Amino acid sequence: MTTTKMAWGVLAALALAGPTAEAAAPKKKPPVQKPAPKAVQAAPIDPKIETIAVPSPNSPMVAVRLLFRVGSMDDPAGKEGLAALTGLMIGQSGTADRSYADLVEALYPMAASVDVSTDREVTTITGQVHRDKLADYTALLVEAVTRPGFAASDFERNKDQLSASLTTSLRSANDELLGLEALQGAIFPGHPYAHAQAGTVQGLKNITLDDVKRFYGESFTRSRLLLGVGGGYPEGWISQLKAGLAKLPLGVAVARDLPAPQLPSGRRITLVEKATDSVGIHFGFPIPLTRADADYYPLLVATSFLGEHRTSHGVLYEELREKRGLNYGDYAYVEYYPFPPFTNTPTPGSPRRQQYFSLWVRPVKPGDSQFALRGALYELDKLIRNGLAPADFELTRSFLTNYTKLWTQTLSDRLGFALDSRYYGMSPFIDEIEQRLTKITVDDVNRAIRKYLQTANLRIVLVTNNAAELKAALERDLPVPKKYGTEVSADLLAEDELIQRTKIKPAAIEIVPVDQMFEK
Amino acid sequence: MKPLYGIPLALLALTFLAVCAGSARAAEPAAPTADIFPFPVAQKTLGNGLQVVVVPFDSPGTVAYYTVVRTGSRDEVEPGKSGFAHFFEHMMFRGTDKYSKDRYTEILKRMGADSNASTDDDLTLYHIVGPKRELETMADLESDRFKNLKYTEQVFRTEALAVRGEYAKNASNPIRQLIEKLRDLAFSQHTYKHTAMGFLADIEAMPAQYAYSRQFFQRFYRPENCIVLVVGDVDPAQVFQLAERYYGDWARGYRPTEVAAEPPQTAPKSAQLDWPNPVRPQILYGYRAPAFSTASVDWAALDLVGQLLFSENAPLYQELVVDKQLADNVSGGISAQRDPTLFNVFVRARSLEVVPQVEKTIADHLAKLGKDPVDPVRLDRIKSHLRYAFAASLDSPSAVAEQLAGMLAITGDVQSLNQLYRRYAEVTPVDVQRLARQVLVSTGETKVPLVYVAPKAPEPTKPEPNAAPGGN
Repeated sequence: MTTTKMAWGVLAALALAGPTAEAAAPKKKPPVQKPAPKAVQAAPIDPKIETIAVPSPNSPMVAVRLLFRVGSMDDPAGKEGLAALTGLMIGQSGTADRSYADLVEALYPMAASVDVSTDREVTTITGQVHRDKLADYTALLVEAVTRPGFAASDFERNKDQLSASLTTSLRSANDELLGLEALQGAIFPGHPYAHAQAGTVQGLKNITLDDVKRFYGESFTRSRLLLGVGGGYPEGWISQLKAGLAKLPLGVAVARDLPAPQLPSGRRITLVEKATDSVGIHFGFPIPLTRADADYYPLLVATSFLGEHRTSHGVLYEELREKRGLNYGDYAYVEYYPFPPFTNTPTPGSPRRQQYFSLWVRPVKPGDSQFALRGALYELDKLIRNGLAPADFELTRSFLTNYTKLWTQTLSDRLGFALDSRYYGMSPFIDEIEQRLTKITVDDVNRAIRKYLQTANLRIVLVTNNAAELKAALERDLPVPKKYGTEVSADLLAEDELIQRTKIKPAAIEIVPVDQMFEK
Repeated sequence: MKPLYGIPLALLALTFLAVCAGSARAAEPAAPTADIFPFPVAQKTLGNGLQVVVVPFDSPGTVAYYTVVRTGSRDEVEPGKSGFAHFFEHMMFRGTDKYSKDRYTEILKRMGADSNASTDDDLTLYHIVGPKRELETMADLESDRFKNLKYTEQVFRTEALAVRGEYAKNASNPIRQLIEKLRDLAFSQHTYKHTAMGFLADIEAMPAQYAYSRQFFQRFYRPENCIVLVVGDVDPAQVFQLAERYYGDWARGYRPTEVAAEPPQTAPKSAQLDWPNPVRPQILYGYRAPAFSTASVDWAALDLVGQLLFSENAPLYQELVVDKQLADNVSGGISAQRDPTLFNVFVRARSLEVVPQVEKTIADHLAKLGKDPVDPVRLDRIKSHLRYAFAASLDSPSAVAEQLAGMLAITGDVQSLNQLYRRYAEVTPVDVQRLARQVLVSTGETKVPLVYVAPKAPEPTKPEPNAAPGGN
């Protein structure tokens, strides 16, 4: 099976024109001057094959990961999807020596595969095999990576697959992923991150097989490769693998600078309109932090406290779901999180030099959409206003110190996080978390909250039916109460009053029909 | 390398993989006649009937503490109660006198545990994965809520709303809707008629079922119906001691459900599912198939039929997806269940125009399996694939626990996994032919095509109210 790095799209077509309305500033504080997001310089390129080994001599399995510094951010304008399609021409295609049918036939008895996933900045090729099939597998892996066949029929099939992932799967088969992907497009307009990993429908149409061949030759080079190996491999095997991969051209250093993402001006709302019975809510904004920055770690604590992914102890979860039954779950993120509906803990393979902070409110009933959005804004404002209490800080720190160790239980995850850390130029992430958390204080966390979090300038995405009606209601911005089918406490109702009165204050509201999403 | 670009992961729920053929790490794939499960298993049954299963695993400092309840949506026999096992799973996080919900949550948070639960047709599964040093705390917390769960009607009603929200988040996925429709159509008597989520009307009526929820707890959350399964950096003797201490006073009281048998199907059934957003046409077929069993090779042979049809190197897959490119996905197989189930076939065609050709191709390949014996070399390659895939899948304490939990829920016997792989080894081309003829037949077929049908122009809904809060 291919790793679940699906090609979810982005709102490339999101024009963010519109009047700049006055920002909804936090109530009790003057607006905080946020640090300007920084432009990021590409890291220097090492001409040799840089290798990270995570040996586990007792394991019968061997894992391989090839991280190439090429991703959808490198797609040429008008050919969005080229990196993903090139990836599939390695992972889901024949080689120069054998057809795709023959390749899968050869891999099948050993239950192995060559899996390729394309993210914004990197393409990762992964494989795992039992050690008694290692020699056979290594030969097939090297063949697939260094001698792709570029058959026209494979090209057509893979191009269609990517296009369908946008037109059928993302637009019409999962409202949550649709909203999450739409939010990325909204946060990074006109930026190399703006379009989905799978590209755009029109971009894919414009790609030729020659484009793919050229892109492969330029991008899948030793200069861009970071190799990871793990498990119970025998002595000498790494050298054999590297000798095989040495058939890749050395390549040339390419600048991969990124423009600085901009904070939106005010709260800018996109309503993605489609036939649906519920409303999914997402909002966020760029932050100038990655795992390599010291301030990332106090903000990691704050975000976990607000709503650790798929856990039941975050503030958002408690307030919106547990007390009010609004939906299935509510979470907060300090960085991009791949495929949130499908995983309980973060998976490696998506390192990025530019990140964003976001909240995810899972689908609510249409009548509750304004209340839920206000509730999430209210809780974030409250966190910014009050910060964490010392006891909350201690508890969340204890949680993260232990919980993050569970993120690397499998060989493949250990290797993947190791490669990501190298990409960021830092020591192993999970170790870094423990070391950083030991040293930080509640004051550090509250300082980071004040410095980086805000609700005045947001990109907000709602996936909804009847968008015009919702737009009009959002513009009216009147209180809409939550109705309960049961008796609830006076305290809850009193707080509901405050939530209802929270102003959404949209600076601009745009309606995008779903069939325009990911189009070009 | 099967493309997952855009293929809804919920499809995986259709296959047997989640239960049995898939996870591991620490041993060589066994020879066909040896035990496939590579780790030692320690077992004990307490005086009250609670089974305790312990698997030491090389995960320094980490343990996976699982509780298997052998009750799922299969047990929802009363009208109007579909989805209740799943709903009740939510209620299990609502606290006791000893550990309130907030206290329970705080303890787990402090230990940094991964804690959650899931409900399926035949089981409800609870887990805590966390530090070894907290093993006793886990035993204390889990035994307490299984014995002493307590919640108010108000809390119960609010949680019902969250369950409705869970349905809402799933509703935009065509695969989930296809499965729901297929099962409703395929079964008339048996509770596999509904999914673990339950019928929407029943979910919406849940807030009024507080009294029933107490009965549900009393009836199914009993030691004879549960298995405590601990995998990881543990000493079995210590786990058995803790089990005696914390679960020993848990009173018996389980009464098995009498689930109506599904009468034989005599004619094909079909019903279309209209989809309100543009999608490629999709079809889900179900063929009446046997319950999981290792008493004969039949179930194992049908699982191999799944590989013969849907693995990436399978002739059907190659023809539809790779050569003729008429479909972008074809998948399926049989799931391991306590009662007779369905062998599923899912296909997503590239366009409406090619649907007849796609259907004919599938029908031809199904018929061929019944007509011509398969190449024994091909069967051997499948058996090798299954053994290596299993070895590769046992890569964490949770993965090991989930392999065993699925099997324990269905058979109650940890040895079933080893027996299954022995049955795989015994399957012959004649078995495959016999089972294909028996199961993949039109009289046992239920079919649900999903096609895009533009919805009528939406009727204007009432403007958002601006009144004071409800609270009724």
